[in-house]
Amino acid sequence: MSSVAALEAVASALPTPAASTPAPTVSGSGDDAFAASLAGAVDDLRGLQSTADRLNVAAVTGDLDDIHAAMIASSRAAVTLELVTAVRNKGVDAFTEIMRMQA
Amino acid sequence: MLDSVTITALSSALDALSQRQRAIADNIANINTPRYHAKRVQFEDALARSVAAGDGTAAATIGESLEPTRIDGNNVNLDTETLSSIDTMLRYQFASQAVDGSFSAVRTALRTTS
Amino acid sequence: MTFDAIGIAGTGLTVHRKWLDAVSDNIANINTAVSTDDNAFRARYVLVQAGQSSPGVYVAGTELGNAEGRLVQEPDNPLADENGYVRYPDIDLGDQMAQLILAQRGYEANAAVVDRARNSYESALQIGRNR
Repeated sequence: MSSVAALEAVASALPTPAASTPAPTVSGSGDDAFAASLAGAVDDLRGLQSTADRLNVAAVTGDLDDIHAAMIASSRAAVTLELVTAVRNKGVDAFTEIMRMQA
Repeated sequence: MLDSVTITALSSALDALSQRQRAIADNIANINTPRYHAKRVQFEDALARSVAAGDGTAAATIGESLEPTRIDGNNVNLDTETLSSIDTMLRYQFASQAVDGSFSAVRTALRTTS
Repeated sequence: MTFDAIGIAGTGLTVHRKWLDAVSDNIANINTAVSTDDNAFRARYVLVQAGQSSPGVYVAGTELGNAEGRLVQEPDNPLADENGYVRYPDIDLGDQMAQLILAQRGYEANAAVVDRARNSYESALQIGRNR
């Protein structure tokens, strides 16, 4: 599965954030701040992955001055994907648990 | 989380150290070139100010060494460049590991909660 | 350019190696005698300049030493002219040895830069490896 397809699969399993979601800096308290941070991470995911892809290609075509930029971008994208995936898995587990209790 | 001042500052440091490494390579390649003046890359002060302001981004500035020249007009000092080269390499390794550590920490946190 | 510092040091290696070649050629020919009708062996000196549009150092040209050389009285030499003179190159061994040391030092310094740059790039490649 390509990296973009993996993104789509994870992103589609999460509720789409409201249009007025603020930038992912933790300024509020409790639930609101975490929701905002997570929604920001989902938005960022596509951008981070495309940046990482772009830098990787630049590195092999000789157009990239600093190899560490490509390594950092790849790590950023990978960690953000892991975060979003972990939260989705938790959400699915919780949902399954609730359904079992109601049965 | 991933855009903290720390990671931004480490990233800026890596950019600047990489430029410094190129400047040192240029100086050593031109160690016997007449009228060549050694290049110097500075960024530490600008980065410290940027971090204190809560930002973390800082650009490196490239200047010329003002050390006295030899007869052929060249002022590259091989000892200075050699020490700076080793210093830059070690700092770059450190910053690389520190950035990696930041990502590992987040990954560890993700794993232990699942 | 990815891994730039290595390329820059590479230009330094090339230039210093050419200098070493020129100096060793000069030293090898320090006793090359010719008849007074010909030009003496001319010492070769490599001219260098810093890169204009890209960093590094490049060969700008070659300078040749004087063709007159030194006239030495050697009547037994088969190349000697009617007055017994032979032409030797105008090369000072001490000067050439000093250049040899500079060229060698410069070459080694650039080789060390390649090594350290490679070290740095390898540590950057470790970022994010341990998933």
